[in-house]
Amino acid sequence: MADVDAAKPPTLSEQYFLKGKDKPVEDVKTPVATTVEETVVETVKAVEESPAVESSDPVESSETNEAASVESAEAAPVAASSEATPAAESSDTAPAESTEDAPASEAASGDDSPATEEASEEAEAAEDDAPKIKLETAPADFRFPTTNQTRHCFTRYVEYHRCIAAKGDDAPECQKFAKYYRALCPGEWVDRWNEQRENGTFPGPL
Amino acid sequence: MIVLEWLFLTIAPCDAAEPWQLGSQDAATPMMQGIIDLHHDIFFFLIQILVFVSWILVRTLWHFHYKKNPIPQRIVHGTTIEILWTIFPSIILMFIAIPSFALLYSMDEVVVDPAITIKAIGHQWYRTYEYSDYNSSDEQSLTFDSYMIPEDDPELGQSRLLEVDNRVVVPAKTHLRIIVTSADVLHSWAVPSLGVKCDAVPGRLNQTSILVQREGVYYGQCSEICGTNHAFMPIVVEAVDRKDYGSRVENQLIPQTEQA
Ligand SMILES: [Cu+2]
Repeated sequence: MADVDAAKPPTLSEQYFLKGKDKPVEDVKTPVATTVEETVVETVKAVEESPAVESSDPVESSETNEAASVESAEAAPVAASSEATPAAESSDTAPAESTEDAPASEAASGDDSPATEEASEEAEAAEDDAPKIKLETAPADFRFPTTNQTRHCFTRYVEYHRCIAAKGDDAPECQKFAKYYRALCPGEWVDRWNEQRENGTFPGPL
Repeated sequence: MIVLEWLFLTIAPCDAAEPWQLGSQDAATPMMQGIIDLHHDIFFFLIQILVFVSWILVRTLWHFHYKKNPIPQRIVHGTTIEILWTIFPSIILMFIAIPSFALLYSMDEVVVDPAITIKAIGHQWYRTYEYSDYNSSDEQSLTFDSYMIPEDDPELGQSRLLEVDNRVVVPAKTHLRIIVTSADVLHSWAVPSLGVKCDAVPGRLNQTSILVQREGVYYGQCSEICGTNHAFMPIVVEAVDRKDYGSRVENQLIPQTEQA
């Protein structure tokens, strides 16, 4: 049986199937379903950025404080949300402990600085193990199944700007749209659209 | 070994054009394998038809002879032969069409989720490549231009008019999405070994999906007449191991983020 199977030349779809190697890609495939993971990942990213920004502009010492404060303000609500999500999960599984969990999550959101530090340390530890570049990009979209992906890029750009218009400038759930449109749109197009938005001449529904 | 080379049966895979090359370049993607297989499928029918038609032709010439056959038969209509020469060609056409459409639609498919997106932007007369999966702002991006090495200074071993200064580095055995567009006029992003030929149209993004099955360096050229230097804007794709790709992109990203 096995010999017969092996002798058969693989079909096109079989050749396309990557055994086992597609794991990281498959995780990306369902970004909406795994919201908890995503928020955690995004927190990690947000937290990573804050020391990077602080270290990268030592020259502009006057702006450093501002930048740092902005970064920490950005990181804080995200960290709080990630802390809250596991707590919420545990309250689902064990309803008896829900009263204990609620203050715990509040406390976590109350003092941000130790939480962010912990998170950044964890992130660094994780980074040393895994390759730093995660191979992920905008997933295939069933609305745009053709070769022409112009609308795909444009739609992702519009979606991002509608998202931040609705949920605030640094809503973590909007970041994925930003990643998508940056992956799909040429930089030149994004620059032009940004300009048009500033001038109020952007042709899309914002 | 020398005999093999005489017969153009070189052992190393052929990923660039060779002198006196007759067949396709060696396949590095399932797509190209499919194209080559379809070519062979069709050639089977082609040769059968060629042999059959030549046989009829030679036979006719042989028998239609003023001494042997002074009075030819005067048939003007035969239902049987009419049916036969309608049915058989349509069956042959069907046998050609089925694999052809199967390949066509599998090429069109954009279903597989890609792991990276690379944007190939054609210019008169060079290409710009953008790797923007790892950006965290609109300004910062891993972008580089890819120019042909001028004719008078290729190094030993480099192909004339095919080598570029900055190659497109992609991971092997990974689903890639190539977004092809242009900033000025029509160009085309074509790499024979990868089975890709995608037109670059200004104002439009064309997507092709490729899966490079083996590591290597693949050469292609602009395939849409785009002006004076149309022949001098080649494409070089370098497929490397996933790990090497990761470290390479990292090394290129770090100086960029420091600049920003
Ligand atoms: Cu061109």
